[in-house]
Amino acid sequence: MIRAIIPARTTTRGEAVMVEKRFTREVGRRDFLRYAGYAGMSVSMAGVLAACRDADTPSGGSSGSVKASIPPIEQEPGGLQVFDWSGYGNGDYYPKEEKKFLWGQYAKATGDTPEFALFENDDSAYTKVVAGARYDVAHPCGYRYGDWVDLGVMQPWDTSLISNFPSLNPKLMAAGQFDGQQYFVPMDWGFIAPLVNLDHVDGSDETFGVLFDERYKGKIAWIDTLNMMVVAGYTLGIENPWDMSDEELAEVRDFLVSKKGLVRFYWNQSYDFWLAFKKGEVWAGYSWPDTVGYADAAGMNYLYMQPKEGRISWVCGLGLFADTENYRHAHEYANSWASKEAAEFLLAYYYYGHTNTEADPSVVPDGVRTALGLDDPTVLDEPKAHPETHIPRRSIYQQYWSEVQAA
Amino acid sequence: MAVTQQEASARRGWRRRDRRGTAGLLAGPLIWLLLFFVIPVAFVAAYSVGAVDLFPTDPGVVSLASWQRLLTGGSVYMGLFWKSIRMSLTVSAIVVLLAYPTGYFLALCVGRRKYVLLLLIIAPFLTSYLLRVLAWKVILGDAGVINSFLSWTGMQSPDDPITWFLYSRFTVMLVLAYIWVPFVALPVFVSLDKLDKSLLEAASDLGASRWRTFVRVTLPLSLSGVFAAFLFVFIPTIGEFVTPLLVGGTSGYMYGNSIQDLFTKGLDWQTGSTLALFLLGVVAVLMAAFGRFLRVRAVVA
Repeated sequence: MIRAIIPARTTTRGEAVMVEKRFTREVGRRDFLRYAGYAGMSVSMAGVLAACRDADTPSGGSSGSVKASIPPIEQEPGGLQVFDWSGYGNGDYYPKEEKKFLWGQYAKATGDTPEFALFENDDSAYTKVVAGARYDVAHPCGYRYGDWVDLGVMQPWDTSLISNFPSLNPKLMAAGQFDGQQYFVPMDWGFIAPLVNLDHVDGSDETFGVLFDERYKGKIAWIDTLNMMVVAGYTLGIENPWDMSDEELAEVRDFLVSKKGLVRFYWNQSYDFWLAFKKGEVWAGYSWPDTVGYADAAGMNYLYMQPKEGRISWVCGLGLFADTENYRHAHEYANSWASKEAAEFLLAYYYYGHTNTEADPSVVPDGVRTALGLDDPTVLDEPKAHPETHIPRRSIYQQYWSEVQAA
Repeated sequence: MAVTQQEASARRGWRRRDRRGTAGLLAGPLIWLLLFFVIPVAFVAAYSVGAVDLFPTDPGVVSLASWQRLLTGGSVYMGLFWKSIRMSLTVSAIVVLLAYPTGYFLALCVGRRKYVLLLLIIAPFLTSYLLRVLAWKVILGDAGVINSFLSWTGMQSPDDPITWFLYSRFTVMLVLAYIWVPFVALPVFVSLDKLDKSLLEAASDLGASRWRTFVRVTLPLSLSGVFAAFLFVFIPTIGEFVTPLLVGGTSGYMYGNSIQDLFTKGLDWQTGSTLALFLLGVVAVLMAAFGRFLRVRAVVA
């Protein structure tokens, strides 16, 4: 099944070769399974293949058999294990509202209370799962979906069990599909773009270049991840900043090193960036939409740029672990997250978009709605926004980024 | 020499029992060390040469490439390592200089209430480490306590606060020093507390001034505590990553941060393990060297 997924992901130059190489050691076994399957599934293989069946048959045809083989919800243990970002249901930010809007429907339908395990960023989440951690449901972001699927620890959703699924934006659902299967259900989305304080920063030229502008020395915040390499790549006009060659990486590194002196700090938590932005410790920064909402609510004179290089868009959503014992619970949970109420909660409280098209954007203050372009149906399309994409040579990027930090 | 047969065999029997008792007593800690130190370190070593793969992107071949990159000077991490060593040395020296008078005062000047005062000095340890680091953000920020005070007194324009107070190498060293001072006051206090006070009386009887007594008697006798204190700070701060992460900005980045980044963000566990193991090796060598030195000191004392 992994072999079948690879072609879907070989969009970027050189990746096909790499993926091929990566899996050389495992391909033998998987090929064997596949050919054994073609050969008519001998009796001895049937048990092994049963585990792969969900993935190998199209969702429409499989839903009946899946339902038949999955025990009813009463027989599931419950206590759903959710691996998620902080503030997405565990109550870190809005204890009452997160529970009510994100999984209130789930609690009502199942009588269950989910248990949350938190991660700080996509990379640490992925690392933890690679190292063997298992849950029922996880909430990574789109650019890493392929990695999770490749690990073979996820299974596709049966979207017929998610009654809110038809309300979700089909265009955005594509990010979660592998081999025609909905392995992830994209829910929350947002941007990466410069946020500037117009009291101090000239907003007439909207560009990522503001994060590297000598005029704002000591008043700039970068994010503390190698995404800065990508942002610099767009600023320098590199064609595909998600898959740069060694020469391009060296160019980006030298650029970042030469601009590093302008930067006050790298942020790890968006709230840290917001506090510094509010206090005037920084005037311009790499920003997610939540900080835009806070700045608007605080009455600041801000601009969330639509840079000429294009914003970067991200989308995150729920995935289902292959060995879950809470199959139906998990679907109820995803259904709760896919609801209009959950969508409006995300919009109103975090200023994040949601793939539910029935959500009413007017729950977001006018200023933020304009800043994010929520009324513009093309706001997520190229060239206005580039989707955050898988970086095949991530560890090489990290080496160059370490050189920037250590310089 | 004049040991009878009986005595000798009795002693051997005692020794056997003694040895068995020792083995029993040591088994617990040894198994603990084996399970939670030796085996994990072996795993890290295996990662560092690629003998164990974690990610599908790992090359899957055993090689010393990452060690070679680190040790042959071309690596950015070596420069970072020396920077961290320099920062840790500075911090340790400052901390010892600050903690020595405190320990001295507690051990030799305060009478009965010294343990109460010692407890007060250690009290900050009861609050969260993060909280203590974050408090400095409030103090050192652009609109923080110090900058507000400077602008209030007119020494600094409110539009032009001193920015290197926060998010700089200075901040990292300041916060680290603040955090470690109470911890270091302890070994200094102990070494001064057990000092034989009659030596000080003898010195003064022989006509030594207080300064001379300090330089010739007190200081040499407390040096083992000072070295222990120095190591107490130096070793953990080389690998420090939380403080630079929170207040270090772009220039306070340390060796420990790159290890953390390689494991959690860069997904390059091979290089991360190499860096971690290198640090462990350096610390072990330092311990061995200083440890011997400490023992010699103790014998001389």
